[in-house]
Order: sequence, then C-alpha cells, then structure tokens
Amino acid sequence: MGDPIAPALGEAAGHAAGGPEAWFFCLRVLGGRYAFEAPLVTEVVRLGPLTRLPAAPPFLPGVFTHRGEVLPVLDIGQLVGHSPVPIRASTRAALVHCGPWKVAVVSDSVEGLVAIPRRTLEPPPAESSGVAEFLSAVGRDRHGAIAILDLPRLVEMARARAVPPGSGHA
Amino acid sequence: MSDETNEILLFQVGARVFAAAVHDAVRIGSVRDVPAGTLVVDSALGTPFSRERGIVVGGHDAGAERTLVVDQVIGVRAFPGSDVQPLPAFAAACLTSGAVTGFVIVDEAPVLLVDLPTLVREHPGAAPGQRAA
Repeated sequence: MGDPIAPALGEAAGHAAGGPEAWFFCLRVLGGRYAFEAPLVTEVVRLGPLTRLPAAPPFLPGVFTHRGEVLPVLDIGQLVGHSPVPIRASTRAALVHCGPWKVAVVSDSVEGLVAIPRRTLEPPPAESSGVAEFLSAVGRDRHGAIAILDLPRLVEMARARAVPPGSGHA
Repeated sequence: MSDETNEILLFQVGARVFAAAVHDAVRIGSVRDVPAGTLVVDSALGTPFSRERGIVVGGHDAGAERTLVVDQVIGVRAFPGSDVQPLPAFAAACLTSGAVTGFVIVDEAPVLLVDLPTLVREHPGAAPGQRAA
C-alpha cells in the first residue's frame, strides 16, 4: 500500500497559509538529502518486483505494478553518473507527476515533507555537471542542508538523453 | 476497461518470459532446417540459451518471413483486455526499441508484450555464414 501525500500536504499547506515557508518532498539519495516541489508527489510506495525493459537506458531500471497500474522507475543516481540506487524489498519510491510523465523516483530512504523558509533558499552551486546541473536551490532545515532539484527538468532531460531528437526508434 | 479477450503467445528467451499477439506468429517449430539468413538470434529480448525452437513471423513485406529463435514456447493464453496495458508514457519515450509495446499482467506481474514483426525488422538476424545449431 502507498502512503498518500496529498492529505498531509494539505494539512501542511494550511498550517503555512500566508507563511513564508516553501514545502518540499525530501529523499535520501546519492549520499545526501535531495528534495523537490511537494505538489509533484502523489504517493510514496514500496517497490514491487521490477520487470526490466529491453533497450532501456540505465536510469530506467524497470517497471512495477501498483494497484494494477504499470509504473516506470527512475533512478536519479544512474542519470547523473553515480552508482545505482540499490533496489531491495524495502525500497520506497515517490510517485511523481512531471508534465505528461508519471514516474516512481527510487531513493535510499524517504524523509517526507520538509518546510524551508523561502528567504533562506540559496542559489545552487555554479557547477554544470552531475546532479548540480539539475539543482534549482539549496535550502537548510534543522537537520542540515537540502539540495532542491528541478525535477520536471531532470525528467525531461532524462527522456531527451534516452532518445535524442530525430533519432526515432532503432 | 475492455471486455475483449486477447489471445497471447507466451515464450521464453534466455531466462525471461515474453508475450506477443498470437496472430503475429505464423507458425512455431524447429529452427534446424531454417536458413541461417532468416534467423533472428540476438534481439532486443536478449540471446536464447539454445537454438532449437523458433517463432516464424511474417514480415511487413509479403513473403519476408523471419524466425525468432526462442528457448521455449510456453503456450497460448487468453487474457481480458484489462490485463493488457500499454507501456507507461515515460518508458515508451525512453526505449530505443519500438518492439516493446506494453505488458500483459500474468499472475499479477507485468510480462513484456512484444510486437514480433517490429522486433524482427529491427534486428536483421544472423550474420552471413552463421548457421543454426
């Protein structure tokens, strides 16, 4: 069973109504804390058995079924040139909607919703390689620093890298 | 939800099971006497452990039959339309093969649904001089 995010987010948003906090959804991956806009997340689920896809890029380790729906899994680690996120029976994923795409983002662990005062958000480092390429900001809460991902851009970049424009299918 | 029933051929390449529409298979048989040039051994589905069984697939051009080498033909099963699902949009956009078109839910697990004519067209088959075992 998945853990619905929307009710918790609604509660959190109500609490923050008019407040200066931004709400993000935080995962532990790539040895650090990464987050993205909370409204992108619909649910947190435990991964079922993966079905691997032939001719798939490494960042797409497979698909799994959740409530009768087949969902693709996105491994951010593989996308940015790091080692893959280990997928075990206990692995959890955040189901996210990014434009037309619905994907399950796997992580080492899920922290959940975090609130970060907007005024404390800082620009990302100027690096343009690896995961830094996809950061929109860096924030901080009582547990430490959090890198804020531009997840829609990251997902779109993944798709573009998999099948470059004009190449079509093999 | 669809009430239609789909006749699905289940087969194995290497350690994995795949599914295909029955009507894409012309016949199933030994590959022993099949000309090597019409065999498809290595495909997006992987490489079979053995080279004994094959699924003959009609090409888009008349008379252009090719034989996909498989390890085992498991059989034909009928699935309700609700058990046949397209590829998720993101996965479809990322695959470099057009041969994987969706999934059949078999015992609650997704089994890849393959378009056999596209699969054999994408892979020209055995190299010149290669012979069936």
